[in-house]
Amino acid sequence: MDFTHLFVELVLMPLIAFLVGLVMVLMLRKVRAKIERRIGPPLLQPLYDIVKLYSKKTQVSHGPMHEIAMMVALGGVIAMEVFLPVPGLNGLAEKGDLIVLIYLMMIPSLGLALGVGACANPNGSIGISRALTAMVAYDIPLMIVVAGVALFHGTTSLPEIIAAQQAGGMSTWGIVQTPVLALGGLIAAYAMLGKEPFEIYVAPAEIATGPMVEMSGKFMGTLFVMQCFQLYAVGVLYTTLFLGGGEYWISFLPKIFAVVFIPLAMTNVFPRYKTEDVLKWMWKWAGGFALAGLALVVMK
Amino acid sequence: MNDLDLLLLVSIGTTAVLFAFGTWRWAGALGTLLYALQLALLAVMRPELPLASGIGFEVLGYRLQWSLSGLGWFFAIITVASALFSAWFAAGEWGQHRRNLRLLHGGLALNVTAMLILLASDDLISLFIGWELVSWASYLAMVQRGGPAMDAAYRYLVYALAGALAVLVAIAMIAAQSPALDFGSVRVWFASAGNGTIWTVMLLTMAGFGVKMGLLPLHLWQPAAYSESPGPIAAFLGAISSRMGLFAIIVVLAQLIGLERLGNLPVAFSFWNANEFWAWLAALTLIVPTFIALTQNDARMLLAWHGIGQGGYMLLGILIATPLGVSGGLMHVINYACYQAALFLAVTAVAHRTGTTDLDHLGGLINRMPLTYVTMLFCIIGLAGLPPMNGFVSKWMIYKALLDAQMPLLFVAAVIGTLGTILSVYKLIHNTFLGQLRLEHAQVNEVPISMWLPMILLALIVFITGWMPGLFLDLVDEAVVAIGITQLPHHLGGVDLGNGGLDMLWIVGVLLAAIGIGAIVYFLGNRSVRVGQFDNYAGGQILTADVPYQYSHQFYAGLLRVIQPWMRGGMAWGERALVSGADFLGGAMSGLYRAAPAGAYLLLAVLAALAVTLL
Amino acid sequence: MSTDPNQAVACRTVDAEERSLLGRVLDRIADHCRARSLFVLHYCTGCGAIELPPTMTSRFDLERVGMQPMVTPRQADILLITGYLSVKTLKRVVMTYEQMQGPKYVIGLGSCTINGGMYWNSYATIKLLDRYIPVDNYIAGCMPRPEAIQQVFLDLMGRIDRGEAQAWKDYYRRYDWYLGQQQQLFGTNWQAPTDVVGEAIRYRLVGEQTLGSHTAHLERYAPYYDQLGIIRPEPARMKARPQLEVVSR
Repeated sequence: MDFTHLFVELVLMPLIAFLVGLVMVLMLRKVRAKIERRIGPPLLQPLYDIVKLYSKKTQVSHGPMHEIAMMVALGGVIAMEVFLPVPGLNGLAEKGDLIVLIYLMMIPSLGLALGVGACANPNGSIGISRALTAMVAYDIPLMIVVAGVALFHGTTSLPEIIAAQQAGGMSTWGIVQTPVLALGGLIAAYAMLGKEPFEIYVAPAEIATGPMVEMSGKFMGTLFVMQCFQLYAVGVLYTTLFLGGGEYWISFLPKIFAVVFIPLAMTNVFPRYKTEDVLKWMWKWAGGFALAGLALVVMK
Repeated sequence: MNDLDLLLLVSIGTTAVLFAFGTWRWAGALGTLLYALQLALLAVMRPELPLASGIGFEVLGYRLQWSLSGLGWFFAIITVASALFSAWFAAGEWGQHRRNLRLLHGGLALNVTAMLILLASDDLISLFIGWELVSWASYLAMVQRGGPAMDAAYRYLVYALAGALAVLVAIAMIAAQSPALDFGSVRVWFASAGNGTIWTVMLLTMAGFGVKMGLLPLHLWQPAAYSESPGPIAAFLGAISSRMGLFAIIVVLAQLIGLERLGNLPVAFSFWNANEFWAWLAALTLIVPTFIALTQNDARMLLAWHGIGQGGYMLLGILIATPLGVSGGLMHVINYACYQAALFLAVTAVAHRTGTTDLDHLGGLINRMPLTYVTMLFCIIGLAGLPPMNGFVSKWMIYKALLDAQMPLLFVAAVIGTLGTILSVYKLIHNTFLGQLRLEHAQVNEVPISMWLPMILLALIVFITGWMPGLFLDLVDEAVVAIGITQLPHHLGGVDLGNGGLDMLWIVGVLLAAIGIGAIVYFLGNRSVRVGQFDNYAGGQILTADVPYQYSHQFYAGLLRVIQPWMRGGMAWGERALVSGADFLGGAMSGLYRAAPAGAYLLLAVLAALAVTLL
Repeated sequence: MSTDPNQAVACRTVDAEERSLLGRVLDRIADHCRARSLFVLHYCTGCGAIELPPTMTSRFDLERVGMQPMVTPRQADILLITGYLSVKTLKRVVMTYEQMQGPKYVIGLGSCTINGGMYWNSYATIKLLDRYIPVDNYIAGCMPRPEAIQQVFLDLMGRIDRGEAQAWKDYYRRYDWYLGQQQQLFGTNWQAPTDVVGEAIRYRLVGEQTLGSHTAHLERYAPYYDQLGIIRPEPARMKARPQLEVVSR
């Protein structure tokens, strides 16, 4: 692969991720509005919010770590996108595999956690302690799912997993071949989005939006941008593992929107779990399904 | 006289010199230089490996000899380098107002010498001699602070002696059947021995060497013993001391018995083989202590518990028995030594300035001690095993090897350990450096250069070898070949496998570039104004310095409410039961021969006679 | 060296009106977005909170125009103060207002914020909110209907879009005056944790009345600054400091 081609891919992949992510954020808010029988925000609302936040005239920083953390968090999500193959663009998926990707996904959380800690606000620290606890809750099922997928395909390389699923049309998709594993993965992906009932670390009425408590202006803007990337990443990851990845954008986009839509459609009718209940629920159900799926894979 | 003889001579000389001039002002600097000399000697002898020493003699028909194989050389590099950084740290301000400096420097050098002798052993007797030397040298290093340190060291000594006895019994068993005790003959003898014999010998040696490594359930002595020793010593012990146990275990399991044989050795009444049995014990060793570390409120105890947990990864990696797994497990030894030493040094630096390591009584030090913070930041990312630090590379190799070897449950166990590590290291850095600065620490200053330079260098090594893992993989190759495993093909950035490889050059490069883009996006916004820690949202409350506004106690309350019921201290209970059982038995015996009346003996004799007649 | 802090950085007097064409276009875009994305912090210690749920939710749906409730002052653009403010509450309002990031807007809801309303005779409440913080819009009535609240929001949006809602700058330019009013109520020991003077210097918003006899009272907190040594000083002459008197006794 020549360098120019690679460079174009590296630029395009995060850019597409951001644009699609903006639409996903809009979908998130529109779905919520429709369920509450409201009209909801205008089309450009996610963009308005981000531009507004970045153009705040006074900005409050709690020290260098607070600022560096925002750069690392945003850099982490951007770096994550180039390891996620999408139709026509493989990026660096050859240089790192599924495990690398899962661990790269933790970098933004860790960066953010350090920045929030530097804000010296206990609401933020409680939020981070809960966010990391939630990570333990959904990452264990997710890793069981990853193990199942890796065993099933005999590889951890994402392009190979996609190729194996596309070999025989829809019948070789992960969701058809390993349905139980896919169900466990879907629940884990739902919890990864951090929406109700797993919204323990934002909890606006309880700990004042937790990690975001001291974020203002461009700091908050960075978080809004990150949300776009993260919604997109969850959709693409799940599509890659179970929905056959994408051959063409025209078939790929509906899949990733569907993956994100399912949790968003459910989340609005739920209140919030307690921290320990999230753990128990995720380990019991998501973990249970994932283990059952893994057992089926091993027996096959 | 070859390089190995010279190395041992220099090492012994270092010990002698440091014991003689330990109180001299420049003793620490001298020690650092001498360790650097030893490191240079090790580097020089690399092409000559394996290198047999000229020293050797015969006792009771057994020949004692020393020879440094690639495996020993790999561990020796880590040992001497850890000692170098620890001595450097202690050489400046840290050591200046301290009593017992002679014991500190001399004890460190003695430990290094003992470890080198152990690592160069070439037969079971010299292995045992080295083992005993290491045990007693560690004891000398641990007792220095007195008080609770004495108790912890004594507890260690009891474990170590019991372990050594088990090893001695195993060696006696081998000596009774094998023609000679050098590793070559013992390997041949193992190949012909029956399953039962191998199990007995293996269990005895694992019990003995597992004590040092902190293999569950023999780990209870370790956290207190390490964390109570003086800072640089704790860094040295934490980085490498336990790995001597791992070294001996590798010698027995991989070099003498052989990993293939291990896979064919069934566990009675089960589907398991010995390899899986030890792998699951390693998995337990990496999960349980990690989650115990999560509950610790003392920074040094937290690190010491992690030391036990990380040992589990190494053993697990080696037991996978594929080139990728063994390389990953061995690479984890050297990666772990880098960040664990730096973490202990950073915590020591904090304690040096604030006088406490209690995580509930620190906070906000990031502005006062930025360099120590950077050290801890780099090293906790390494300990947690996240990119871009070196801990990620070795853990990735272990994960990948587990998946390739069709061991998904062990993979999940390894991941659970990693998640627990991420949680507890965040607690460590948050409670120490982030959050609100306490008033009593408002005037604290950064440690002097003699202390921060070694820490920062270690942190840089952690980062650079994460970026270019090939640097360490080259060293690992020597050890992998010595075990008898095929060398793992690798390049500077990582490994290239058919089904999903790792190229850290690209990963770290892209990550740094992306962080650069993040910085550009960040600077799109207007410039920020720096505010103080009291300019903070508190629901309308006006914050003052006299009321701490910090969340640090019971940091993961929600998680602990779920997992604490499972932590009932079963192993500590078992230890106490063993102690009181021994106590009771001893009391009964002493009562029997000291105070028991003749009538009781008569009764016992009659009962015995009756029993014999009846049967 | 000029004594005008606005000059200290740029070496020449910066004319606020002097902007390049690109700058004006960017300002225009930013104002356009600001007007369409307003995050509201409700300060509902008095009455009137009950009028807001219908405004926000399904009945009138404020999200149509991009408005959302927010939780902390850091994230909010509008500080919506409903009903009366006691002296004690006003301290919190001032502190909250100072913790918000500019451009920021204040809306006083209900008669109590305009003239004390039915609490006109009370010894413990304030009568006119804009003596203490700059207010962009008032909504008269006891209580105003949700329709009135929306009308004011739309009016504010229009003014933001046209770049007219600049009341927040007044707080920096006349900080001494506002602080004086606050000190009349709270006493001269009063100080909030936010360093308003420092921010005014940093963002070149210093006016004739930023410093004066009232801000001089803050100077006595300066020594405690070094004792805590938490932030590196701006070249400001004085700093509002966290209350450390308790500690330094």
